[in-house]
Amino acid sequence: MNATSNTARTTGTTGAGGSAAPVEAAPEIRDTPATDDARRPDRPWLVIVWNDPINLMSYVTYVFQKLFGYSREKATKLMLDVHHRGRAVVTSGPRERAELDVARLHRHGLWATMEQSG
Amino acid sequence: MSPRQRRRIRPDARGSFEVRLPPEERALLAHLPRQLDELLATATDPAAPGADDGAEVARPRDRTRAPRAGGADDPEKPGVQDPLRRLFPPAYLRDEAAEAAYVGIVRAELVAHHRETLALLLRTADATRLTGEELEAWLAALNDLRLVIGSSLGVTETMAELDEHDPRYAEWVCYSYLSYLENEVVDALAGVLPPATPGADDEAPEDPWGEPPGGLRWDGTPLPGGP
Repeated sequence: MNATSNTARTTGTTGAGGSAAPVEAAPEIRDTPATDDARRPDRPWLVIVWNDPINLMSYVTYVFQKLFGYSREKATKLMLDVHHRGRAVVTSGPRERAELDVARLHRHGLWATMEQSG
Repeated sequence: MSPRQRRRIRPDARGSFEVRLPPEERALLAHLPRQLDELLATATDPAAPGADDGAEVARPRDRTRAPRAGGADDPEKPGVQDPLRRLFPPAYLRDEAAEAAYVGIVRAELVAHHRETLALLLRTADATRLTGEELEAWLAALNDLRLVIGSSLGVTETMAELDEHDPRYAEWVCYSYLSYLENEVVDALAGVLPPATPGADDEAPEDPWGEPPGGLRWDGTPLPGGP
């Protein structure tokens, strides 16, 4: 993976934002931002796949089997959840693993996002 | 020619895959990847004409940027979503800094991956036998082509077949063919998948939400039948 100048910029921004609490942010809500898992290390990150009208159902099932080692039954159930309910949580875990899973899903053209549970 | 007369892709006894395609289909497969690759090359090359706004600082206009939550369209083409964006979905919907960092880490590699698989499809469009790895690249390239053409067509789940007098008919035929071929590739590859990982199903998370959040898709559009 390539770390670009863009990464450096955004990392800097993140660092500044993380260390300097906004004036209006009172101490009692400092652990509420949903994005800072350093403050919520115990809560897993959820990898979510969203429905889209283009990806084939057979393809989505195959990708779940291939990437996550799920049985055909489990992969099919998750695919149907995506199809009928609009989205499904397909894996969960530490932030680094979730981000890796999202990147693998993106390589396969699936609409995947991640967010921390809770 | 009926595309459904026989299977076009099937595993052989040596762990490879036999590819039986008529010449006109191979010609299409040798043509489409080139078009998409040119789009990707232009869209991701800061030096390419049109890739820069001509603004004071060289902040290349990056057409691969994923849409924000809310589905903002390309400001230069109101109402037309840039089909290439479909190849680069966002990872974080509610954290711009995290999303920017994610893009910084994965974007170049993702562009390279898309272009490599398209190049392989182009190189092997005449092949009568493919390794599993090559067929996986075909699958990735076929799916990318479908995503871009389907986005350009504005495909929906309930979209009816287009009439042959429709100006988008040729594009629609390409899309339908790619869908058919991709299904065949998936069938062939799924047939030789290793057994499920022991315990993987048990570790799969249960869905913590009862219903889709707000009845919305990731891009802010309502779910069909949602509230």
